Amino acid sequence: MSENNEKKVHGVMAEYTSVDTLLDACRRVRDAGYEKTDAFTPFPVHGIDKALGIKPTILPWIVLGAGLTGTATALVMQVWMNAIDYPYIISGKPFISLPAFMPVAFELTVLFSSFGAFFGMWALNGLPKFSNPVFTDPRFDRVTDDRFFLYIDSKDGQFQRADVEKILGDTDTDYVQTVVDDDSSDKVPKPFFMIWGLVVGLSMVPLLIVLKMRVSHSSQPRFHVFYDMDFSPAKGAQQYSTLFRDGRSMRPDVPGTVARGEMQADLDFMTGIDMDALSMIDQPRAERLVRKFNPLYVADAQAEQEATAEAEPQQAGSGDGDEPGGETTSGDAAADSPATDSDANEKAEAEPSVMDTTPWLGKNPLVLTEEVLENGRKNFGIYCSVCHGMNGYGNGLVNVRAQKILAQTWVPPSSLHQDTLYADKYPDGKLFSTISNGIRKMPGYSGQIKARDRWAIVAYVRALQLSQNASIDQIDEGQRESLLQEQAAVKKTIMEQAEAEAAKAKTKTSESEDDAAPEPEKDSAPAPEKDSA
Amino acid sequence: MSLAIPNGLDNSVEQPGERAPLVLGDTTYHDITEAVCQVAERKPSAGWVFGFLISFALLQWLGICILYLIYTGVGVWGNQSPVFWGWPIVNFVFWVGIGHAGTLISAILFLFRQEWRTSINRAAEAMTIFAVACAGTFPGIHVGRAWLAFWLAPYPSLNLWMWPQFRSPLLWDVFAVSTYGTVSLLFWYMGMVPDLATFRDRSTNKWRRMAYGLLSLGWSGSSRHWMRYEKAYALLAAFAAPLVLSVHTIVSFDFAVSQVPGWHTTIFPPYFVAGAIFSGFAMVLTLMIPARTMLGLEKLITIRHLDNMCKIILATGSIVGLAYGTEFFIAWYGQVQEEKFAFTNRAFGPYWWAYWTMVTCNVISPQLFWFKKLRTTPWIIVLICIFVNIGMWFERFVIVVTSLSRDYLPSAWSYFTPTWVDVSMLIGSFGLFFTLFLLFCRLMPVINMAETKSTLAKQYHMTQHGDH
Repeated sequence: MSENNEKKVHGVMAEYTSVDTLLDACRRVRDAGYEKTDAFTPFPVHGIDKALGIKPTILPWIVLGAGLTGTATALVMQVWMNAIDYPYIISGKPFISLPAFMPVAFELTVLFSSFGAFFGMWALNGLPKFSNPVFTDPRFDRVTDDRFFLYIDSKDGQFQRADVEKILGDTDTDYVQTVVDDDSSDKVPKPFFMIWGLVVGLSMVPLLIVLKMRVSHSSQPRFHVFYDMDFSPAKGAQQYSTLFRDGRSMRPDVPGTVARGEMQADLDFMTGIDMDALSMIDQPRAERLVRKFNPLYVADAQAEQEATAEAEPQQAGSGDGDEPGGETTSGDAAADSPATDSDANEKAEAEPSVMDTTPWLGKNPLVLTEEVLENGRKNFGIYCSVCHGMNGYGNGLVNVRAQKILAQTWVPPSSLHQDTLYADKYPDGKLFSTISNGIRKMPGYSGQIKARDRWAIVAYVRALQLSQNASIDQIDEGQRESLLQEQAAVKKTIMEQAEAEAAKAKTKTSESEDDAAPEPEKDSAPAPEKDSA
Repeated sequence: MSLAIPNGLDNSVEQPGERAPLVLGDTTYHDITEAVCQVAERKPSAGWVFGFLISFALLQWLGICILYLIYTGVGVWGNQSPVFWGWPIVNFVFWVGIGHAGTLISAILFLFRQEWRTSINRAAEAMTIFAVACAGTFPGIHVGRAWLAFWLAPYPSLNLWMWPQFRSPLLWDVFAVSTYGTVSLLFWYMGMVPDLATFRDRSTNKWRRMAYGLLSLGWSGSSRHWMRYEKAYALLAAFAAPLVLSVHTIVSFDFAVSQVPGWHTTIFPPYFVAGAIFSGFAMVLTLMIPARTMLGLEKLITIRHLDNMCKIILATGSIVGLAYGTEFFIAWYGQVQEEKFAFTNRAFGPYWWAYWTMVTCNVISPQLFWFKKLRTTPWIIVLICIFVNIGMWFERFVIVVTSLSRDYLPSAWSYFTPTWVDVSMLIGSFGLFFTLFLLFCRLMPVINMAETKSTLAKQYHMTQHGDH
């Protein structure tokens, strides 16, 4: 003991071997008036709080507070998340449905209370505390085994070392020891800091990367460890697939079935041909068409053989059948095509093609209403006008551009305003078939435009033709007079405008070429009034 | 496993006017310390190493299966329309149920002042935590995109711009199981701190002393600390007791709140809780009986402990049997066509083999515990407990699979067949469980020394009073 004299004295402790001797000593020390005392035991000794005069703990109040916080947190969270910030409609229940919020409220109450009890207890006990003067005595190691210690702190008001040693020595103990400062270093070894720093530093790296990506912009696609559900690994058409034995990603139709929306019952409507009449003239062709539009149709073995032999060439042939050779000659579409077309007609008359013998439907099967015409106008604008032009003269943007760059293989689109294309020579059914299957360089549109819309386009084209070539005889007698006056007035204003333009142009540049622009304008001038007919 | 009970170690006989001792032999405080610490301090036995290697290999296999699942997709399981829950959920409910015995022993028996719990509660609590770890694995990987399982948490997500749906029992389940896991961990760790301090004070190795020193948070055994510690322990027990009942109740809501015939019944919460305790105690005994022999803890985990646990198994097993009967009665009494079909189909449909395995293992086998001879013969207890565990796994299988495979829409009916991944994951989860348990046996105090010593102190006290 003497060599410890210079060190700071924290207190004095005595060792006991049983609960009873400890309790006895505790009572004696308490009665002697010491207050800063403590007992160290390997297990909780009941009655020691009274023997030492330890006051009850406030821990239950901390836990109560934590529990109420848990309940409140759970209820506020659920009401906020499910009723206010993002209201969920579930089975028509009210947004704030308390019974459904109870389980989570209960769980969070328990969770928060448990945190309160666990962390509150350690905090009140001042733990973790790894440096404690009582640990300096190696004999104190047995406190967690089978020994009991009573300790009087030097901070106690009446602490006198000699007195304390005496009072403890008088109890049933054979070991009284002064607790002094630990002379070993209280510094944490350096490697700990290095390891700790390294771990913290490294763990910040992913966080920093994520944060940087959150705030910065990049032209690269976002980096995905796992793709989100908006990424679809679906195969494209004609891609190889390992899923099926034949290696195709696209599946053929199941034999004997029709896909939804593919069942075509009305063949006249689909082909533009009077099928009854066709089957009289050309039975095999009629059968092929039936098979094409109705996969459920089962023909006899002979017809099937024919089909495999001829079906494909026939379809192509029906498109090419009336292609007039002269049509490929280039020139101003609107001006030249009537001439070439008439050539073609002459040829066709010489040897009638299948296109001429086909019994086309003469009349559009749709009931012509304003809606149908409007639908036709819309689809014509989408699909046809890019080549044929909004007015049908074959002056669409694609054609204009092709002419401008002198595209070698360009076949100019026909003007729709030529008498060979009028209803009397070119029946509605044939026009429908042309739209569906294509002609010359024009591809078929059956894959892109529904049959109903193709018929609507046919109706619109007829209206368009009428708008350019109707005669005054087609107007009601009563309206003719006013219409002619109106036409004269319009013509006059146009002429005046044109003259004014020409005069302006001459004054500006004496050598200006003929502009193409005014001429079509003059041509199309009568259009508005006749449209109204 | 010893067949006969060593002399002087049978405390299962009731002596009139006397409490049967819970710590046997002429044991001192120091003997308890020695008995428990030697488990961790001596070199691992060959049996331990062998068991650990097998468990660890199975754990690796589980990990490989999970990686395979994540890489390939949930199609590697047998889950297929209409049985989308399949084995993962069966395993989840099975493991959560196993965990319940630990909390029951440590919390409910503590509140009822059942002091015989002291020598078994530590291992049972550890078992709870490891079982919850196994249980948590399955819903985590069953969500399909396991790397997004954190979407279950209510956090302000920049990807989703929405919150979880708090009226769904599946979300209650997330809260219940995670709260249960957390509170069990706190409870277990807090209970261990004084014993970790014992380990610290006994260790001779510097690093070992430092590690246990950190884990024991500087515990000194101060009486003031003990007082607050006991208060906190009692409070935690008071929370854990209703918590353990709520967890399996909420797990049963996953089923009962749905409208699937065979699931939509109000009997589920009590029936699930009883089943959970039943299976949990069976698992505790299955583990504890070999462990007490191998670790030489017969004086602390006595025949009386085994006897008491067997009685709990008998009681809960009878409740489970009664629940099976009640389900059938209500299906008949309620006269709902779908319910009647669901239960007839359970017993006599394509899964009749699963149903009758369940009934044999869960209803018939625990009834053997009416015989004291069987309750006090360790190897018979282990045998029956293994049957109970098999039966309880099949109970969850029967509930999940038979009901889903025969839904309202007969055109969707199908027969569930597990794949090798399903089977591997179930076996692998045992690998996870036993790896953790065997590590626990080596590194942590398997018996609550402090509490056992205070039981011993009371025993001393009583004998002294008896001398008067």
